[in-house]
Amino acid sequence: MGTHSGHGRLGAGVTAGVAGLALAAWLSGRRAARGTASTEPVRAARACHRSSALLAGSVLADSAMEHERGAYANPAMYVPPLMAALVLLAGAHGGGDARPQRHRVRHAVYGGAMATGVAGTGFHLYNILKRPGRWSWHNLFHAAPLGAPMALLLAGGLGLAAERVRHGRTRVPRLLGRPAGQALGLLVGAGLLGTTGEAALLHFRGAFQHRAMVLPVSLPPLAAAALLHAAVAPPTRRPLARWLLRLVRLLGWLGMAFHTRGIARRQGGWRNWSQNLFAGPPLPAPPSFSALAVAGLAALRLREKRA
Amino acid sequence: MCADARERPRGAHGRAPDVFRRGGWVPMREYDDRDAVDFAIVGTGAGGATLACRLAELGFRVVAFDAGAWWRPLEEFASDEEHQAKLYWTDDRLCDGADPVRLGSNNSGKAVGGSTVHFAMVSLRFRPEWFKARSQLGYGADWPLDWREMWRYYARVERALRIAGPVRYPWGPHRGRYPYRAHELNEAALVLARGAEALGIRWTPTPLATLSAPRGPAHPCVYRGFCVSGCATNAKQSALVTWIPRALAAGAEIRDLAMVGRVAVDGADRATGVEYLREGRWRFQRARNVVVAGYAVETPRLLLLSATGRHPQGLANSSGLLGRYFTVHANQAVWGTMDDEIRSYKGPPSLAITEHWNYADEGKDFFGGYCYMSQGPLPVVWAVTQGGRGLWGKPLRAEMQKYNHQAGLKIVGETLPQADNRVTLADTKDAYGLPVARVTHAYCDNDRRLIAHSMDFMSRALAAAGARDLWRETDDTCHMAGTARMGDDPHCSVVDADCRSWDIRNLWICDGSVFPTVGGVNPSLTIQALALRTADRIAALAGRGEL
Repeated sequence: MGTHSGHGRLGAGVTAGVAGLALAAWLSGRRAARGTASTEPVRAARACHRSSALLAGSVLADSAMEHERGAYANPAMYVPPLMAALVLLAGAHGGGDARPQRHRVRHAVYGGAMATGVAGTGFHLYNILKRPGRWSWHNLFHAAPLGAPMALLLAGGLGLAAERVRHGRTRVPRLLGRPAGQALGLLVGAGLLGTTGEAALLHFRGAFQHRAMVLPVSLPPLAAAALLHAAVAPPTRRPLARWLLRLVRLLGWLGMAFHTRGIARRQGGWRNWSQNLFAGPPLPAPPSFSALAVAGLAALRLREKRA
Repeated sequence: MCADARERPRGAHGRAPDVFRRGGWVPMREYDDRDAVDFAIVGTGAGGATLACRLAELGFRVVAFDAGAWWRPLEEFASDEEHQAKLYWTDDRLCDGADPVRLGSNNSGKAVGGSTVHFAMVSLRFRPEWFKARSQLGYGADWPLDWREMWRYYARVERALRIAGPVRYPWGPHRGRYPYRAHELNEAALVLARGAEALGIRWTPTPLATLSAPRGPAHPCVYRGFCVSGCATNAKQSALVTWIPRALAAGAEIRDLAMVGRVAVDGADRATGVEYLREGRWRFQRARNVVVAGYAVETPRLLLLSATGRHPQGLANSSGLLGRYFTVHANQAVWGTMDDEIRSYKGPPSLAITEHWNYADEGKDFFGGYCYMSQGPLPVVWAVTQGGRGLWGKPLRAEMQKYNHQAGLKIVGETLPQADNRVTLADTKDAYGLPVARVTHAYCDNDRRLIAHSMDFMSRALAAAGARDLWRETDDTCHMAGTARMGDDPHCSVVDADCRSWDIRNLWICDGSVFPTVGGVNPSLTIQALALRTADRIAALAGRGEL
């Protein structure tokens, strides 16, 4: 990192990551479809694409930065940022696509992302277990983060769900043999709990030194519980679940603001960005909560339409 | 940038340096010399600063003195080992005996904050049995304290300093969770870990007094690696950035560049105040109580210097033990060369530790225990170490080429207290016109057996971790203790369990000199725990009118 080219590559990587996240954020905020009114399944599918894109944006920035920190010691470390970039593009495409059919290239990208997520979890587990101390708190804190590749798995899963939902031949779209709203709700609920687990681990590493650090380990589980309940209970309006998910969507962006401040609290603050973006709290991580909340809200809407 | 901190006192005119802001100041209460304050405290290191803080917070009127300067770490600590020697106590002393100690760098400090400004931050608790070493383990002396009470004070210090330690500590009785999580390990620490795992003993990330997460205005550690040259980021939780700011906020006055030369005592065996040199003038601060916290050489020296007609052998010395039982830690190391780059100087120097031989009693041919830690010597220290092996010229250059591949393990080893290891006064005088301390030290056979055991074991561990060309550093010591030991019996100790002199009841000692035994761990946490306990005891005694 001390070398000139290293610094340049670092700057390029960070810029790409931030640009990706910005694009994803813009996409996730885009509500109105182009032109024609679309059916609820297509609407929900497009929300899932946006959610997947936002999650992929977070993964792109995070994995590009963290793997840069690891100096891309293993060539396989290039795969997750590349895959995340493809998912981001697929999500951008799908988010604007009003056709009630699946898209083969997008479909393949999402499948690839899921495979990458599974393989990444294996790599990260190996990284943890090869260190002295093996399966220990210390290695969970400081070795390759076990939960991170799951985000790519989840981004691919949300994308695949979007493809299936929009492709529904029946009036009520189905997913994995269940009503799509229910399946999506279960997927997003589990994703929220997993992401909470990662935030809990890392905020425990940070000793919950700031009061706000308890927010991402308290609010998302509540939202997940409400969403899971909505998924399995008889379909009806769920204002509480909706509000909780909206709060989680807001929390993601709030988290990014807190992490911005966290970076400022390191030695040298933002003037020393090339160190502190890596040493400080991960800037791109919190919006993954927003991404999941977007998909969770889509699941709720499907569920309310008895799907 | 202000003038040199060593030229003119900074704690003056109602203000003191704000160590968290460049060029900043905080208000400081000041007392008149003629005003008999509740406590005059000599020394502002781990003992004195902690006690000053707590006593002030408990409502006492406190003035603390330090011979050293009041540094601003953010502005005045360079990444330069030689320059940072300004933090050491390098005043003249005579060292003799069969195994004379080297004084200065790793065992004393001359600054507000004392040696905590450049300590290695290793924050360990005593093994419970050590508080009853004589009756439970058969060597040394018993402390007049119960380990369970000390355990509570340890926890308080750990909270106050946001110690970064492992989630579970592998040895000893249960302890509460460390306030902050342990730091990431550097390669040198992983060498220790691999060696320990190969030999089947446990290891852990070292509990350290340096921040692993932000704390108020203090930044987390940036792994600069100059810890023992003074931390320039305030991550290190030295007394300078923890107890001292709290003491100021609670109304204590700290006088920097103030060398205390005598504790005055009246005919009724009550201390009346301290004589001190500041800005070229000897002055006298009146006080109802005097606390001496100058560490194991300067504390007995000051009390010896304060001898009067009624106390011809020095103050608090009716037992004749003042200055005796000077005890150090053995600090031997085994070094080797690794095939991979280690760059051991990255991060705090002792990130991994094993206390196996502190807690295991089988397989030893000696009393006491030792821990050993990973090491991260800076280049000048490393070159000097090589010089100590007799390397010079081409061989030295060749050895220095391997610097990035070096890894080492170094003990903090318990030596036994011996009455003839002692601090006395020499005939020579220092720059203040005061007789200098003579420090006489020799190892006993037990110490040599412990050292031999540790070096054999560390050699095996280092080889098992993949090191080659092993060699042994045989002559280092660290930390000091014992010269004003505490006890239950006025004939066998200098102070009681409250660190209160048996002879002069308003004279207290609050530093490592009160340790009857040293255990196999770095002493700073225990010194601070004792200071917290002493403050509580003083408040209790004051409440009962027994001061």
